[in-house]
Amino acid sequence: MEQATTGRPLLPRREDGLRRRLREPWRQAAIFVAYFAQFIKSRLAYRVDFLVDMTANLMSLGVQLLVLSAVFSKVESLRGWSYDQVLFIYGFSLLPLGLFNLVSVNLYGFSEQYIIEGDFDRILLRPVNPLAQILCSSFGTGGINELILGGAVMAYAGSRLGLELGAAGLALLPLLAVSAALVYTGVFLGLTALSFWMEDRLGLAPPVYNVIRFSRYPVTIFSPLVRLLLTFVLPFAWVAFYPAAWYVGGEQWQRVALLTPVVGGLTFGLGYLTWVRGVRRYTSTGS
Amino acid sequence: MIGAGAPALPRWRRGRAASAALYLQFVRLAFLKMLAYRLRYYTGVVSYTVFVAGNYFLFSAIYASRPEGAEAARLGGLTLAQMIAYVILSWAGRSFTFNNIDRTLSWQVSKGEIAVQLIKPLHVQTMMLSEAMGEAAFRFLLFTLPILVVVIPLFGLAPPPHPALYGWTLLSFLLALVVNAQINFLVGCLAFYLKNVSGVVRAKMIMMEFLTGVLVPFTFFPGWVQTVVAWLPFQAVSYVPVMIYLGQRPGASLADALLLQAAWALGLSVLGRWFWNRSVRHVTLQGG
Repeated sequence: MEQATTGRPLLPRREDGLRRRLREPWRQAAIFVAYFAQFIKSRLAYRVDFLVDMTANLMSLGVQLLVLSAVFSKVESLRGWSYDQVLFIYGFSLLPLGLFNLVSVNLYGFSEQYIIEGDFDRILLRPVNPLAQILCSSFGTGGINELILGGAVMAYAGSRLGLELGAAGLALLPLLAVSAALVYTGVFLGLTALSFWMEDRLGLAPPVYNVIRFSRYPVTIFSPLVRLLLTFVLPFAWVAFYPAAWYVGGEQWQRVALLTPVVGGLTFGLGYLTWVRGVRRYTSTGS
Repeated sequence: MIGAGAPALPRWRRGRAASAALYLQFVRLAFLKMLAYRLRYYTGVVSYTVFVAGNYFLFSAIYASRPEGAEAARLGGLTLAQMIAYVILSWAGRSFTFNNIDRTLSWQVSKGEIAVQLIKPLHVQTMMLSEAMGEAAFRFLLFTLPILVVVIPLFGLAPPPHPALYGWTLLSFLLALVVNAQINFLVGCLAFYLKNVSGVVRAKMIMMEFLTGVLVPFTFFPGWVQTVVAWLPFQAVSYVPVMIYLGQRPGASLADALLLQAAWALGLSVLGRWFWNRSVRHVTLQGG
């Protein structure tokens, strides 16, 4: 009996280790669900904010629609792209933007809140992936509006175009939207990670963010140099035009659109690598 | 001398009629404060260059797509060269007239810091306008000019049809600055009534880009839109000065345009004064 008890813990403990390793992703996922639930609870105290966000997003959409219709009242098509096609691409662009805005709130003020204020120490002490903690510690609920509005604009433009999404199209939609959101996240994660090297706020994010509004147009209307830049250097053509072209661009664009997940993965991978190298370099301010 | 009655207050402390010298100090200090953070504006130059470049490429594509033989290659009454000038001046102008009075004021109200301003013997509206002037002086020298230095060689700025229009445009942008500051002051005052004004400020920013004409000239829109915006103060913030530069306000209409701006500047400051006095009575400061 004595021997059995000393021998016994070995086996279950090993099983425990294996089981723990298998359960680890689930445990982490459960933590993020808890983060999100906690956040929603805190936000519900400010229901008006959500309505205000929605109104601001509706206004932004309305202004964009006015501008598009003004432009298309003067020209029949924009280098071969019709109003409805451009509108559909615009609607699609709101999906990845919404997903990105949901999780990116903390990237924007990262260097101030986490590096200069020293909050990053706290993050590193917890046994959960630091990036996931940062992204999930608060959510931009405005992103939900963008998802809803984007879907509505796509449905409207799609019906005017007589688009049949089909099973494949519907199945692809979340994949394309998430991949495109990964492009955003990758780019801004990389820029955020630079603050591990440069403590002073570099402020590169705002100019890059401003490029977004021009990347919602079909990239083929721009000059070859701009097209090249938006495809390979700052790959924002992949957040709206290339993926949306699967639906409105005809067959020659469908193959390009299917590369979106690859570009999303690569961009996010690069951003994440920069981030990981930055985290290794991190030395606390010590305060 | 001691005990010879209350010491005479310096002139600037006599009630609300504070002297101009005091407010000049706010202009100066705002300028110096901005100077301390000037590094921040280097990337701002990149930001505005992105806006100008994006619109440049966008409008180039739109003009390239216009129907064959469209009358004299104009869209909404402007040639492509004029359209590019429109884009450059709108954004350069915005870099000059922009200020954060609405954010600052609403922040002070919601944090209760406004109490400190209220006990000072000065006129808050005039103080904030003075600060906006100081900020604008900084912006003109170290933000707008660098933006123009980068953007003009890149995209080319067509000169106005008459050299005197340089001067009138500048004057018009000065009036635009006052109009914008007064609009922002009014929006900031909303914080006295609303708990969360940041969404309103964001909505205002979105609407302003459109209603001031920065995004697209109003001549692109149908007549009824033009009529509506003509009755609003927002066009005085950007559309009017840019149209003056482009020679679209010839002869007597130039004077009309400038007078309209001045009238809005005056009207909005009176409105701001009234709204402020009303709002201050409404103030509830949370202690702590």
